[in-house]
This record gives sequence, C-alpha cells and structure tokens, in this order.
Amino acid sequence: MQRHDVLVVGAGLAGQRAALAAAQAGRDVGLVSKLHPLRSHSGAAQGGINAAVGAEDSVETHIYDTVKGSDYLGDQDAIEFFCTEAGSTVVEMEHFGTIFSRAPDGSLARRPFGGAGFPRTIYAADRTGLALLQAIYEHLGTEKIHTYEEWDLVELVFRDGRAQGVVAYNRRTGEFEGIGARAVVLATGPAGRVYSRTTNSHSSTGDGIALAYRAGAQLKDMEFVQFHPTALLESGILITEGARGEGGILKNVSGERFMVRYAPHVQDLASRDVVSRAIVTEINEGRGFPGGYVHLELMHLGKEKVESRLQEICDFARNFAGVDPVTEPIPVLPAQHYMMGGIGTTMRGETNLAGLYAAGEAACVSIHGANRLGGNSLLETLVFGKQAGIAAAAYAAGVTNGTVLPSDVEHAAAPIRAMMARTEGAEPLPLRAEMQAVMERRAGIYRNDADLRAGFAELFALRSKAATLRVVDRSTVFNLNVTDALETRNLLDLAEVILAGAIARTESRGAHARTDYPKRDDAKWMKHTVAGYSPLGPQLSYAPVAYTRWDPKERVY
Amino acid sequence: MVESVAVPISVYRYDPARDATPRYVDYSLDLPRHTPVLTALLKIRSEIDSTLSLRYSCRSSICGSCAMLINSKSRLACQTQVGPELDLHGRVVVDPMRNQPVLRDLVVDQGPFWQDYERIVPHLVPDPAHPMPEGKPNPMTPEQVDRFYETPRCIACGACYSACPAKEADPTFPGPMALAKLYRFVVDPRDGARRERLLRIQPGGLWTCLRCHLCTSSCPKDVRPSERIRDLKELAIHEQGATEAGSRHAVGFKENLHDRGLLNEMRLVRQTDGVVGLLRQAPQGLRLARKKPELLKKPRRIEGQDQVQKLYELLEDEEGGA
Repeated sequence: MQRHDVLVVGAGLAGQRAALAAAQAGRDVGLVSKLHPLRSHSGAAQGGINAAVGAEDSVETHIYDTVKGSDYLGDQDAIEFFCTEAGSTVVEMEHFGTIFSRAPDGSLARRPFGGAGFPRTIYAADRTGLALLQAIYEHLGTEKIHTYEEWDLVELVFRDGRAQGVVAYNRRTGEFEGIGARAVVLATGPAGRVYSRTTNSHSSTGDGIALAYRAGAQLKDMEFVQFHPTALLESGILITEGARGEGGILKNVSGERFMVRYAPHVQDLASRDVVSRAIVTEINEGRGFPGGYVHLELMHLGKEKVESRLQEICDFARNFAGVDPVTEPIPVLPAQHYMMGGIGTTMRGETNLAGLYAAGEAACVSIHGANRLGGNSLLETLVFGKQAGIAAAAYAAGVTNGTVLPSDVEHAAAPIRAMMARTEGAEPLPLRAEMQAVMERRAGIYRNDADLRAGFAELFALRSKAATLRVVDRSTVFNLNVTDALETRNLLDLAEVILAGAIARTESRGAHARTDYPKRDDAKWMKHTVAGYSPLGPQLSYAPVAYTRWDPKERVY
Repeated sequence: MVESVAVPISVYRYDPARDATPRYVDYSLDLPRHTPVLTALLKIRSEIDSTLSLRYSCRSSICGSCAMLINSKSRLACQTQVGPELDLHGRVVVDPMRNQPVLRDLVVDQGPFWQDYERIVPHLVPDPAHPMPEGKPNPMTPEQVDRFYETPRCIACGACYSACPAKEADPTFPGPMALAKLYRFVVDPRDGARRERLLRIQPGGLWTCLRCHLCTSSCPKDVRPSERIRDLKELAIHEQGATEAGSRHAVGFKENLHDRGLLNEMRLVRQTDGVVGLLRQAPQGLRLARKKPELLKKPRRIEGQDQVQKLYELLEDEEGGA
C-alpha cells in the first residue's frame, strides 16, 4: 500500500493549490486524478478571475456584489475572507508564471463581468482557466509530489473516527488499490453531468461529492444549480460571459435586445440566473428562434476586437456551431454550468468528518450562496484550495499514519467485480442518459412541485435499475466501462440530493426558481440546506447563514 | 431538422489483455454532417460497444485529451467533423496517435511525451537579479505578452508529437510541443534562465527539427510550433554562435547565398561538418561528381547578386530594430 501524509483527490486548480500548500508545509503529498492534471476541467474556464485591484474598485464592493449575487444565501464571514484574499491570490499566480492580459501601462487588464460594480475580472484572453492551470502545474512541478494519474476514486476509508485514505482504481493495470493518508482533500469538481445539457466536461461527475456523502459528509445547498445563459445550441459548449463583458448583446427573434426589459440598468450583464431566466421566458413566450434559442451578437464589435479578445470563442463558434461570430450571430441557449452546492466545509476546508477536507467546486463554503458571480469560481479554487491544503497539512502533523486494509480494498472492489460478472442488467451509459433526461425535464431553470416530485419518482425507478448495473468490458487495461459505472453510481446519488433539496425549498432564490413559489422567503428560507446520506434517501436538515453586515434586500440589476 | 448521412467509421481496436494483433472494427452510424468524430465515437460507446477505449473529457478542444489519427492526420476528435472527412475520404478511419506506444484501442502511453516536456525545465526559474516585486504583479506590456505568440494556447494534446517525423527518426528529439513550451519560457521577461535554456537546447535536439511544418499544420490551437522552433534557432545562434552541425549549416547556407546567390555544396559541407566531415562524405561526393558534376563547381556569382545582398541588409536592419 502506498501512503502519504496528505492525499489530494482531483488535480484541477483547487486540488493542485491544496497539494502545493500541503507540500510547502513540509508534508509528503499524493495527488490522485482520473485525468492528467493539465486536462482538468479548470482549464475550460474562460472569462477570468475577480480581484478588486482597480483604483476605483474596492474589496468592500466585491464583498457586497458577492453577497448580493448570492441572493443573501452566501456566508458573509466567508465572503469577506474570500474577497480580501483575492488581490494576493492573483499576484501569487502571476508570480507563478500566469500570462495575464495586460493594460497599456503594463498592469493587469480587467474586464467587466455580470453582477459586478466595476471592471474587476482579470483575464488571460478568453482562456483564463487554462492560463492559471498551466501556471500552477508548472509551479507544482518544483515540489516533490507523487501523482496517481488516471486513477478513479472508488471509496473513502474511515476508521477510528477519522479518514484513513482511499481505494482507487488504476486504469492502466485494472487493479483496485489502497492509498493510505493521514488527511484526504477532495477537489474533484462538480457533477454537471447529472444534466444532459451542460457546459461541464464529460469528467464532471461529482465523484468526490458522492463518495463523501456516502461516507457521512454533509452536502450543502445542492439544489442550487447555475445555468449559464450562453451555451452553444447543440453541444452546450460554453460561450464566456466575457463575450457580453466585451459588449456582446442578446437578441430575440424580432431582433429586440430583450435584456433591456429584464434588467434596465445593466442589461446583458445582469447576473447569470437573471439572464438565463430571461432567455427561457423569451422562448416560452414565443420570441425565440424556431427550435428554441436566441442570438448572441458580437458582429458590431468588429473583427479586430472579436478575434483578439475572444479568440477561443471564435474557434468554438466556427468549429462547433458552424457560424463565424465576426459576421453572424451565435445561436445560444442556457445550459447547466455550475453547482453552488457541494460538500459542506468551513473556511479552512474542513468537513464534518475528521481528516476529510474539500475545496473548489466540489465544496460549498458557502461563497456563492444561491447564485455564483462570474469570475468568482476560479478565485474560489485558489483561495480555498490553499486553505484546505494548509488545514489538511496541520491535521496530518498531529495524527498517525492512515491505513487502508486489504478488506477495505475488497469492500470497495466487490460491487464492481459483481457488475463485471453480470450477464444481464442495465449498462452504465444508457442509464446515465435516462437520468440526465429526467433532470433536464424536471429540475431545470424553472421548477415546480409537480415536476420535481415526478422527477424524484422517475429517479427512484432508475435507482432500482442501477442495483443490477452491468459492466460489459472485462478487460484489465483502460477499461473505461468501469469508470462509466463508478461515475453513473455517483451521479445518481447526487441527482437525488438535488431533487430532494429542490422539492423542500418552497421559495425562489438565486438559481433556484420555483414557478409555484416565485418570491424569496427570507423568514422561512434564509438558511442552508444540509443533506446527509441514509439508505432510504437523503435526510435534510438546515443550518443558519453566517451574517455580518449586509441586510437582505431585493436583488435588482 | 438537420439531415443525417450514413457515416462509415473504421476504428483501430487492440486490447493487449486478449488480442494478439490489432484489428479494425467497422461501424456505420447515421449522423448530421457537422457531427464531431468524438461524438460519433461516444455514440459507439453508449449505443453499440462500450468496450471501446479512448481519452476524452471537455469535448470543446481545451483539455487536449482526444488527439488521435483521423484519416491518417493527427488531430482532436472533438474538433474534426465527419462531413468533410466523408467528402475527402469516403469514410472515417480512426487510429491511435503515432510516436507513442498503444496501450489499448485509441489510448496511447503519453509517458514519453511528458518526459520530453519535463526535459525543458517547464517552470519559471527565479532570476536573482530581478526578484518578483513583493505584493505586486510584474509589469508586462501588451507588446511583451504578444511576444509569446500563440504558445500559451497549447493544450498539450500531443497531435504535433504524433505528426513529427523527426521524433520518429530520432527518439532523443524532444518534439515540437516541448520546444514551443521552451520558447514560451525563453521569451518570458520573468524568467531567469533564458541563456541556460538556449545553451542547453542547441546540443539537446533543437537542430534535429526538419522544418517540415507538420506540427504546425496538425496543431488544433494554432500554436505553430515550427515557427517557434525557428525563433529558438535564431535566438540560440544569437546567444551562442553556430556551435552545432545544424546551426553551422544554417549559418553556412546564409553566407553562401549572401556571397554568391547560389549554394557551394563543397563549401557548405565543410562549413557544417569541417574538413573531417568533408572527407567522410567523399564517397557520396564521388558519386555526385559522376552524375551531376556541375553541383560541385564553385558557383558563379548570379546576376543581380547585389540585390540579394541588399535584401540581407534590409532583413538584418529590421532584426536589429525589433
């Protein structure tokens, strides 16, 4: 059995930042990922990273915008810490080698983003995530870290009241192996693939969230799912908010700039939930293009600006939608984009389980509350990845080695081996597609009690099918069908938690829009949903929102 | 609705755990013409045969997972649409990348690729003379950012590595991606190891590049590795002079053209490989003397040679000014 002081699972920005912090604290660090670190989904982030560094801007305004953007469900103490760390985090990444775009005077260029009072989003063209991911990977290369590349997380191991390590599946050899650790950090990203139409990568299957949940960790605010307003019509590929930040506008079938009606002040740059609902309303009321979509126009910005500032977007539109944004509008439609919820953590990345930490999109601190602002997620990965790494390193210094027993490995592997032995039963990928269709139909941008309950029942039926899941591939080398099965199992658990939270929350707040309860209800619902695992389904309880200085107000843009 | 067409797809299949040799399996799918090859392969996985193994993640050409050979060309499956392939080849043939051992089906061992990447010391090296400004970002103008060209767009997919004949011929050649990455560090004003990087790479494989530009034509992100390799060659000669056979050849070539407007083969071989090298190539020289004796003669100065020299002067002025 391999053994480390700190084992980080997930090698995107949050995972790598956690690994770096733990290594700098002098711990022996292992890093497990089902992808090569540079292939992590953090690299797909386009728009930028927020930091109130401009002379006219202030940390105070960033805090206020984030609290307001969260629809007052974000924890204000955590948001204060988060925004205060922004400036130094960006500087650190610049020192690690990030090639940010620059203003003529040599300072970091900034662009306006939705829901922000000032141009606050620092960027690297329209590939900020990739630029940050490259820089952290390069810098992490100067530390001695053992990487388990293309290993799937199968189970978290707890004994004697604390984390002992993980069981993982080595794709290269087909072996299930234990990796012992004194502390485990989960930075496995979101579960966007519970939906069929998502900007998320195929790998965004919530593995860490689901495993933590089954191990007894509390999941927080899972019903809050952000839909990005502008994803390409067919593929759901993201068109950054930066496109509107640079002056792009949305139009309906009659050529009307409809955001003027929904957000008279900031129009196309209103908060994401507002814009997504506006697009769906336009389509539902017959003002969409035939087939149900709207146009994002960049033509008026001119070839020069579009091709230099929005280079990737040009490629995406040309390669994946067959349109040239310099001369044609881009057909767009909202798609699942981000999960505000996740494994509940403190500001130090601690979960309710000893020795288990979480950071990034897999975690819920909560900074984003009911709705995340653009430019805040990249910042979150780095700020709280670092915190989780520091906390895990400190914890590891005070406990004995973690041990994964052969019986732990057998316990984790047995269900998969059973799936491989079956000759009948549901296959993982078709079952996943059925689940995605349920979530798309029943738990999308607009929700209501009847749909959500119907979705819950449909999901229940799929879960019983999942009991006889069958892995068709029997190979020991790069058997992706095993990965399919592990992921599908994880997604099904999380879909259920999303639905349960959404059924219970009888109000509309941020990204959770109930047509049967269209108003925010602070008296009853200004609280976090907490979901715990039970064999009968998610058990919901509620926790107060940390509140410092900002009284809830109606969110108007 | 968009019309679908029948798409014949042949996919390379090989599972070392059970197959003695690789084979192709033919599938036929009905797909709209603009369907990405990756979508077609995933459809095979979810609807026909879930034992097909390949790497994929983002499906939007940013994670670099799905590089493979599509109709013999190294590229991303997510970025290649089936329609144009049918027009050109009548079908879609999918193979694993070249220059990397196959692990299974379309999955290759990228270990050598990453080892070559590690060889160029892929991180900023602190410059003791110019420490990072405390609590502040380094100033860098938009013009300085422009000098990286497209190298920051690299997604490390390996398509260039797969397409590179120099890599195939000489396993010690680091390959186009690593060299493009090296360029990214060489032009970074924050890096303290510019000179060491350039000195180290001259004997370390820079001159093995054949200038075929297949890396540039296969790159899905327009990083243009061959152009950055050319830039590195110039920078390396500037830093160290012509110390390698490759760089001496380049300099000799330039001097030949400058002086006569034509190549003097005898002179060029001597410049590249020295007198010993010249002797070593004697058998080849004798064959050449029999078949094309005119090539071994000292060329006459061509007409308008002064124009060539003027061009050189102009180019050198421009370089000096840049």
